[in-house]
Amino acid sequence: MTSLAPRAAKRLRLSNTPRSVCTDCRRTFASSVRAQQQQQPASSQHARQDEKTTHFGFDTVAENLKASRVAAVFSSVASNYDTMNDLMSLGIHRLWKDHFVRSLNPGIRPTTSAQPQGQRILDIAGGTGDIAFRMLDHATNINRDTQTSVIVSDINPEMLGEGRKRFSTSPYQAAGRVSFMEANAEQLDQVESNSIDLYTVAFGIRNFTHKQKALEEAFRVLKPGGVFACLEFAPNLNNPVMNAVYKRWSFGAIPLIGQIVAADRDSYQYLVESIEKFPSQQEFAGMIRDAGFLLPGQRPEDEVVKAGWEDLTMGIAAIHKGVKPA
Amino acid sequence: MSLTPMALRSVLRTPTGLRPLLLQAPRALYHSYEHAQPPPYREAESAILSSAFTYVPTHGFTQEALTLGAKDAGYLDISTNLFPKGAFELVKYHLTTQRLGLKDRIQFPDGQMGVGRKVRSLVLERLRANADTGVINRWQEALALMSLAENIPASLRELSALSDEIWFLSGDISVDTSWYTKRASLSAIYAATEVYQTTDKSTDFKDTEQFLDRRLEELRVMGGAVGNTLEWVGFQGGALVNLLRSKGVRI
Ligand SMILES: C[S@@+](CC[C@H](N)C(=O)[O-])C[C@H]1O[C@@H](n2cnc3c(N)ncnc32)[C@H](O)[C@@H]1O
Repeated sequence: MTSLAPRAAKRLRLSNTPRSVCTDCRRTFASSVRAQQQQQPASSQHARQDEKTTHFGFDTVAENLKASRVAAVFSSVASNYDTMNDLMSLGIHRLWKDHFVRSLNPGIRPTTSAQPQGQRILDIAGGTGDIAFRMLDHATNINRDTQTSVIVSDINPEMLGEGRKRFSTSPYQAAGRVSFMEANAEQLDQVESNSIDLYTVAFGIRNFTHKQKALEEAFRVLKPGGVFACLEFAPNLNNPVMNAVYKRWSFGAIPLIGQIVAADRDSYQYLVESIEKFPSQQEFAGMIRDAGFLLPGQRPEDEVVKAGWEDLTMGIAAIHKGVKPA
Repeated sequence: MSLTPMALRSVLRTPTGLRPLLLQAPRALYHSYEHAQPPPYREAESAILSSAFTYVPTHGFTQEALTLGAKDAGYLDISTNLFPKGAFELVKYHLTTQRLGLKDRIQFPDGQMGVGRKVRSLVLERLRANADTGVINRWQEALALMSLAENIPASLRELSALSDEIWFLSGDISVDTSWYTKRASLSAIYAATEVYQTTDKSTDFKDTEQFLDRRLEELRVMGGAVGNTLEWVGFQGGALVNLLRSKGVRI
């Protein structure tokens, strides 16, 4: 890995030496972000002492700037964002998504209901519709449910555009089982309270500015008994040695590869850093509980959070779930 | 716990899955009489599991029973995600509630019965609960779920807890070195007898009762030395595994 980096850099005649990749791009941003900033008044460019700030990767930025920066990142990686997931997950994010959907078991079996109504699934940060497709496939093929429908929601119209394109030729589109909604996950005004069976968010929540607020919105829109489910990278692997190796990979190589395959190192750098900033599994499960959810597997006598998630592949990623009490 | 070489040999001969049973350290006796026990389930879980349990005789220990129970309890199909272990949670529910309920199923008149007779009655009473709840015809499904690698530790923990409970209710509260072997022997006897019960076609489980008496008698005859008992437990463990395998259970 260490030898790969300098050689690749030379081939591309990058001005930075690989060692400075990490430190340098913490200070610089993707050109698209910079262009956008330059249109704004100078005073909003920097986070001032008296403004509320939040993380943008390792940078601290004014809260009101984060959403637009995240938007810029995803606009610039929209068409090849799968590459990023492939790199971060060592190629296994597709298997994780399969497992995520299978473990949730969406869809209603005709045998458990006299007149199945189907479920209403809300896939937040649904981007290109990857999760939605799997949900509908599972409901249809495994549970013989042809009613269940998915609302794919994303803050970024370009990502949603990719999803629309993908679904346009599918039978699900024709059957009216998929719809698209542009919305910030922190404020889902367009969704009625107590109206959703299953809320999913895959590789999205770490980009939200106010994660707790998003969790509270999830709680509001879910029906009593409804399920919140999240698939997300975790900041640290379970095994310290593997963790060190993986960190070296993610911080050392991925931004560089982002530069090579997408000519956009900074967006990839942000994505790596945003994972590092994400709360640990236990902390995040605590946030889910604070929003009002029951954590699966948590024992009644335990005050501290001990359950509610499943680690995937040594803890590179995790699945979190919560059930809204009825 | 230090093991004699002979005892160690029988531990090693025991199928891996059953070894923890022999090696568990004694923990503080923990019984419903002495402590106010925390409820084993949260409200939502109790509501769903108790409703779901009524579907076990007809639908088996299955995800479907769990789903139907969730709906009866005012939850949704999707709410069964509350149970990470799925259908096995229904098995655990039966094991836990029947273990905790055992003390209410049987009362011993003062000073009339020896510990041995009480143990026998308690085991029979616990087995009767399998029939009373109507799950005995489905119990082989439960055994299959219990023998899945990921469920073995929880199943053994329940078995040990039942064994503890039976010794405690029989009035045996010794915490000396015989504690290990007593617990292990009773666990093995209980497990074997329960497997036998699933195949018993006799009226009122008369054959199961006789099966249990033969196992208890063997234990009485061989149970003198610690080494012997452990060897016997190892043997019973092996026999149990063979019986399960002959029933098509993959362990
Ligand atoms: C890495 S993509 C994940 C896409 C898809 N769920 C998947 O698993 O492949 C992250 C998505 O989160 C979206 N996102 C970021 N901030 C958001 C917010 N506050 N509300 C809704 N979506 C947001 C981005 O636009 C982007 O499409």
